[in-house]
Amino acid sequence: VTGAGAGLPITSGQVKAAAADALGLAAAEGVEVVVVASSTGLTRYALSEIIQNTVRNEIRAYVRVVSGGRVATASTSQLTPEALVDAATRALEAARASRPDPDFPGLPDPSRVGRAQPVFRWDEATATRAPAERADKVRQILGASDAENAAGIFETSAHAYAVVSSLGVDCFDAFTRCVTTCLVDNGESTGWGEASSHASDRVDVEAVARRAAEKAQRGRGAGDGKPGTYEVVLEAPAVGVMLDYLSYAGMGAKQVIEGESFLATRRGQSVGAESITVTDDVYHPESVGLGFDLEGVPKKRVAVIERGIAHEPVSDLRTAHKLGVESSGHYSGSSEFGPYASNPVLEAGRSSTEDLVAAVADGYLVTRFHYVNVLDRPSTLLTGMTRDGTFRVRNGEIAEPVHNFRFAQSVLDAFASTEGVGSDAIAFAPEYGSFGSTVAPPLHVGAFTFASTTSH
Amino acid sequence: VKDLLVRALDAAVGGGASYADVRGVESLSESLSVRDDTVEGLDRAQSSGFGVRVLADGAWGFASSAVLEGAEPERIAALAVEVARASATAISRAVELVAEPAHVATWRSPFDKDPFAVPLEEKVALLMAATEQMAAVPAIRVARGTMDLLRQQSHFLSCEGAHITQEVVHTAGGIEALAVEGSNVQTRSFPGSFRGHFASAGYELIEEMDLPGNAQRTAEEAAALLKAPPCPATHTTLVLDGHQVMLQVHESIGHPTELDRVLGMEAAFAGTSFVGVPDLGHLRYGSELVNITADATIPGGIGSFGYDDEGVEAQRVDLIRDGVLVGFQTSRETAAAVGEQRSNGTMRAEGWENFPLIRMTNINLLPGSGSLDDLIADVDDGIFMATNKSWSIDDKRKNFQFGCEIAWEIKNGRLGRMLKDPRYTGITPDFWGSCDAVAGPSEWRVWGTPNCGKGQPGQTMRVGHGTSPARFRNVSVGVAR
Repeated sequence: VTGAGAGLPITSGQVKAAAADALGLAAAEGVEVVVVASSTGLTRYALSEIIQNTVRNEIRAYVRVVSGGRVATASTSQLTPEALVDAATRALEAARASRPDPDFPGLPDPSRVGRAQPVFRWDEATATRAPAERADKVRQILGASDAENAAGIFETSAHAYAVVSSLGVDCFDAFTRCVTTCLVDNGESTGWGEASSHASDRVDVEAVARRAAEKAQRGRGAGDGKPGTYEVVLEAPAVGVMLDYLSYAGMGAKQVIEGESFLATRRGQSVGAESITVTDDVYHPESVGLGFDLEGVPKKRVAVIERGIAHEPVSDLRTAHKLGVESSGHYSGSSEFGPYASNPVLEAGRSSTEDLVAAVADGYLVTRFHYVNVLDRPSTLLTGMTRDGTFRVRNGEIAEPVHNFRFAQSVLDAFASTEGVGSDAIAFAPEYGSFGSTVAPPLHVGAFTFASTTSH
Repeated sequence: VKDLLVRALDAAVGGGASYADVRGVESLSESLSVRDDTVEGLDRAQSSGFGVRVLADGAWGFASSAVLEGAEPERIAALAVEVARASATAISRAVELVAEPAHVATWRSPFDKDPFAVPLEEKVALLMAATEQMAAVPAIRVARGTMDLLRQQSHFLSCEGAHITQEVVHTAGGIEALAVEGSNVQTRSFPGSFRGHFASAGYELIEEMDLPGNAQRTAEEAAALLKAPPCPATHTTLVLDGHQVMLQVHESIGHPTELDRVLGMEAAFAGTSFVGVPDLGHLRYGSELVNITADATIPGGIGSFGYDDEGVEAQRVDLIRDGVLVGFQTSRETAAAVGEQRSNGTMRAEGWENFPLIRMTNINLLPGSGSLDDLIADVDDGIFMATNKSWSIDDKRKNFQFGCEIAWEIKNGRLGRMLKDPRYTGITPDFWGSCDAVAGPSEWRVWGTPNCGKGQPGQTMRVGHGTSPARFRNVSVGVAR
């Protein structure tokens, strides 16, 4: 990959040198090696001081082996030829003790699935940020928040992925990421700000801190809201979480095959307003991810919902074979879990957040959600709490703050009643792990249900 | 490995750390998943590496690496010190640790039958015997069986002279049936959801569970749920099975009593707590029947160990006694905040990669008396819910909603109609205050949940919960929409 410098956690050449012996394992019919390497520096602050500060250097190599129609995987944290041969041998032993897998379509053949091009969302400065630079950013955040109790992170990381196989797959991609968050607690109310990008220079930490402080200030004196169904404006962090759970609940082909996805029964039907288009799109300018999946198949942009119509799921080789289609390049690394849409994007509209609020006669503005979970997959019914800034909206203007609500809401029902889509689509890093990103704009939803409230 | 760790420790102290500890961890795991008549997942994972934690200039620094050769121990130790010195530019006071004896010890978790020594063919055959029976039940779309095995060895060395070697062996197994009719999708699992039952045990756990012997009933219940009416929305008496009480304890007692959350250190991610330090000894958390311990010493719990990841000996402490808050889960850094002279030993890290955090050990609701049948017999009109399916709770751990796989009406002391999609909601101290019965020791079991998330970078941890069925009055149920 051109442009890669000292911050790259591992190179394509290092992977191929380490994997060569394992790929040549004579007793196996096919061998695939996937290497994931990262270097992550994360400075964590709370109570307006740095409380934890870590640098992690991680490598993981997954060796998938095929023998007599049987498949098994072994992994190791040691990237040496010996460790990979050992992993391949352990996988081979396991495969031989297993049973033939009639649904296994074989390892990908690059002459049939094509050769992937890297996306390479890489910023060398982000990859090589020193601990002192991260601490400096935290001091900037603390200064801009002007709060006695601010909490959050400033994180910079570099990630490299490689897939090589005995059938000739040879993929390598890398990305960097910078994430910052800020929660301000003024003792009476809290406010939130966050930003992420592949390049740390694009993350304005002081703006994030000021936004959190302003939200907290505006939240003073909150009272109880009344549960019910309302018009709401969901800011981008709340929409991002809804997209993540839509992806988890029903954007993969395995969930379609097993009957759990909304796409199993509503394909071709209207599931959202015409303004709603949901894709998995690693090529979106704000996305961070890879140009291939974890079996080396080139990643395609997939329209899961297009102009409100339920369209198609993302797939991997196994589920695509079952559905009689081509793989979209979304193998998650686990046949049990199935293919995964790791770069969901809700296409932006044309309205500013202010315009969205101005269109609400009587409703609420939600900053973000907390601890969301799926109640029913086929209907995409979620529950969770609002936090860090929930406000009444009256006659198109933000009015008094209210205590947090518990919501119980189908994502698709929210999409169906959507009356406006914001223009400012923001990228979010995953809460756990480093794989993928979510791009979401704010939404004006016509009917959103709050089931109960809490005392803060 | 010990030589490498000693080199890292020496380099950290030599580099200016006022305190340093190093942990080397090697783990081996095996994960097996069978779907219908297919081995869908068969993964064997090995992981080894080390982490260096230091205090320099009064602040924490941590660095970790999987590279076990060359000058990596010295490089990582120096990096940890560099990180600590950067941290020190934004602290209000220096970190101080309460004392702990420098333990030199070896500890192993007990088990009877090494799960890694059991032939893979035998494990596959056992799971397939279960999935075959489930798949034979009409309306079952997916029949799944899983096993998860872990062996983890760790070495802990500190500049105070501690040298602790530990080995744990965990075993887990379970089955799940998915019944589908149009958009009506119902799940039933045994003995618990989300990959079954996890315990600090050997393969004897799998044999005792008798997965094939419970397969047909599990599948038939999933199929029956398709025809069951939904759980009504009402306020009623609620009886929960031990598995659901496990999640209720986990979310509404375990997390809120972690002292780092109470102090605000987790505010931006997982949240804080409705409990404050001044509440200690005063707050009525629940009824007098609610007695909660944090116990890292009980056999079978996946939150059991000999020493935590900062070298503190495993302990059993009371968190709630007769319904009143009497303790927090603490660390060497935080214990002094509640006037304690010693940490109660709850600091744990996921693998070698991570900085240890206050994590639940085994957080247990102590048994009361009687049986599940006795709890139900005292209910004229109520609902019995079983097996956790979903969970959500606010950022102060107060407003919660849980869903279970299955429920039954209770009428005049007996179970009646089956109900689907059961959910209930409440406010933590009100809910535990409404607890009027906890079943006795014969129903008490130490459950395990392997994926408790916390911290940034995100870490998952294995924690245990000893629970028995319990009863709660005037609970809001059936509140999905």
